[in-house]
Amino acid sequence: MPQAMFDDPDGMLAMLRESAAGFAAQHSGTKSLRDKRASAGDLDKQAWKAMAEAGWTGLLLPEGLGGAGLGMREQAVLSEALGRALIAEPVAMAAVFSGALLANVSVSEERTRLCAGIADSSVIAVPAWQNPSKSSHARPVVATATAGGFALTGEKHFVDAARSATDFLVVADCSEGCLLLSVPAASAGVTINERPGIDGAMIASLTFAGCEVPESLVLARAESADALLESPILHARLALAAELAGIASRALEITIGYTKDRVQFGKPIASFQAIQHRLVDMWSDAEFACAAVVNAVETLDAGDVRAAQLAVLAAKARTGDAAFSICRRALHLHGAMGFTDECDIGLYLKRAINLNATLGQSEALRLQFVDLERAA
Amino acid sequence: MAADWNELPDEEFRKVFRSWVDENCPPHLRYMRKQRPLFDEVAEWYHALAAKGWLAPTWPQEHGGMGLSPAKHMIYVEEWGRLGCPRIPDHGIGLVGPLLIQYGTQEQKAHYLPRILSGEHVWCQGYSEPNAGSDLASLRTQAVLDGDEFVINGQKIWTTLAHCANWIFVLVRTDKEAKPQRGITVLLADLASPGVRVRPITNLRGEADFCEVFFDNVRVPVKNLVGKVNEGWTVAKSVLGHERIFLGAPTRPEYALGRLERLAEARGAFDDPAFVSRYAKLRLDLYDLGSSFERFAKVLRSGGELGADVSMLKIFTTELYQRITEEMLLVAGEEARFADDLDAGNGQVDAMNLFLDSRAPAIFGGSNEIQKNILAKAVLELPG
Repeated sequence: MPQAMFDDPDGMLAMLRESAAGFAAQHSGTKSLRDKRASAGDLDKQAWKAMAEAGWTGLLLPEGLGGAGLGMREQAVLSEALGRALIAEPVAMAAVFSGALLANVSVSEERTRLCAGIADSSVIAVPAWQNPSKSSHARPVVATATAGGFALTGEKHFVDAARSATDFLVVADCSEGCLLLSVPAASAGVTINERPGIDGAMIASLTFAGCEVPESLVLARAESADALLESPILHARLALAAELAGIASRALEITIGYTKDRVQFGKPIASFQAIQHRLVDMWSDAEFACAAVVNAVETLDAGDVRAAQLAVLAAKARTGDAAFSICRRALHLHGAMGFTDECDIGLYLKRAINLNATLGQSEALRLQFVDLERAA
Repeated sequence: MAADWNELPDEEFRKVFRSWVDENCPPHLRYMRKQRPLFDEVAEWYHALAAKGWLAPTWPQEHGGMGLSPAKHMIYVEEWGRLGCPRIPDHGIGLVGPLLIQYGTQEQKAHYLPRILSGEHVWCQGYSEPNAGSDLASLRTQAVLDGDEFVINGQKIWTTLAHCANWIFVLVRTDKEAKPQRGITVLLADLASPGVRVRPITNLRGEADFCEVFFDNVRVPVKNLVGKVNEGWTVAKSVLGHERIFLGAPTRPEYALGRLERLAEARGAFDDPAFVSRYAKLRLDLYDLGSSFERFAKVLRSGGELGADVSMLKIFTTELYQRITEEMLLVAGEEARFADDLDAGNGQVDAMNLFLDSRAPAIFGGSNEIQKNILAKAVLELPG
């Protein structure tokens, strides 16, 4: 069955897959998702702590900062395995994105504290960088200089695990360009406004109303937000792509199993050609998704930045389409059962919708790819 | 003894092969519009390859081939395509040679292999029949043993390039009572034999690539039997090993997308967001096909064998080729009414030609629906 096929000379990746499977046996992803939904939660703290103990929340962080110092190859294998098991923790945002944000800023006490904390789960630092849409009456966050630092006013949208976060990594406009600030979640002047996400976890927007941030918590200054965000977005998209590939492959397997078991007209429905051709199409889509992830990881490793950007855009677009469309077809092939909340396939669909829409839907990513490629 | 090409590093081999081909493949034969030129049209290139010893990439060197590994063979095919070399009538090289090397007698090898290399024998492949296409095992052309000869009666169809061939590699039924797959035999027949009639069939592009071949009491000596009587199905099925990857190569959609870009630029279509959206889907499908192709190529490079799953590439690439050429007609607007090529600023774009050409690959080499049946059984292990 579909899986991202990497060279694995020392068996390291196989070990990582095994430990992810072992983790999944102890922490049911589907139960955790259902619990989150029932309690309006946004992160399973017990699971997150166990993931930190396994070295996964700091997987990409350098060893000197408390992390495991591994690369996107390992991250992709892990994210794929988590996707398969529907362990729907915000790894792509609270570990990969935040880690990449912090990896690129200069050394400071605050950076050291955040990185060590992310790796051991004592800190949950989530990025707050997305501005309200142009059509919204809300304004982006602006940092105004004060005597001891900056005051933040405005909104940031699409923040994962905001309620569970200990710190927000806020990208704010200022007179000289742009700042990255570490803002303790309990700071005065920060309001968390949550809405239920489709997969069960809450998604928040943050309102800053004159929130005071001392100079010591300014992590970086840049001419533009792009300079800060390019690498985190690239890495998080690739992690999301791997997770989506895992979701796609697992949803396919579940559906093959179901159609082999489900008997109508005296035969398993998987013996009917109409069903078989659908399953083959789904399988092929999942294989293409996995190959796109492998290509993106290898291209990123090869070091040509533009080629890597293209490969990651392609991988996120391919895996998003594959996961979403495979889950839709999977649901249909489960018949009326698929439409029940009790059947897990619906959870896969909802998670796929969420991740597909995170950091750009496929159509938008494809257009970016073409823009980038044709700009040369 | 010729060089052991497999000892060369891949990039070294690529350079050596490429530079010789680039110097020796006649310019007027590059990028031919015709997909399947006749033997005489490309004979000089065929003979040049033969003289160099590079005509049969996968045959063992002892039989006059290059003895290339699958990985090196991929490079050979890639460079061939990149340099726009014409397809040569290759049933002898690609099909008959490998089968005789595997199943033929010493006499057969000694007789036929050199004649393939010299171009004296040009082969065609007699598989499909009017009522045996996807269901090839139901073929009915029959051969009856009469003394030391088989007598063949029946009809083959979609026989590519039979009208420029002088020999046919033909599947015949020798047992009507057995299960369909158990009563098939492989024979080698001289097309000059009395009772053979070849009728070319003109295709949608106005070319005669394939033919009907009629057998009316055609007598073939027993020594032209390949393998054993009634065991021809295994022989016929064994032809495609690693070469199945080439059915899924991105070559055709890659070429077509380049033509689409040329046309779209000339017509200003890149200023139309609706076009750009559709184009982006096609572009990314091609890009991702490359990633998936590479996955299987890697298997070959590391000395592994391909599984049935490789045919996912064939389905994807043939459908993508169709979608790209459909987009060309869309960009052409009302000019899609014309049969001839479209003006695209500095040069012509053969949109209609490619659109028509793209109809075929989804059918040949096992239609895409047959591929899905095979994948359902062999890869997904779905019940029958």
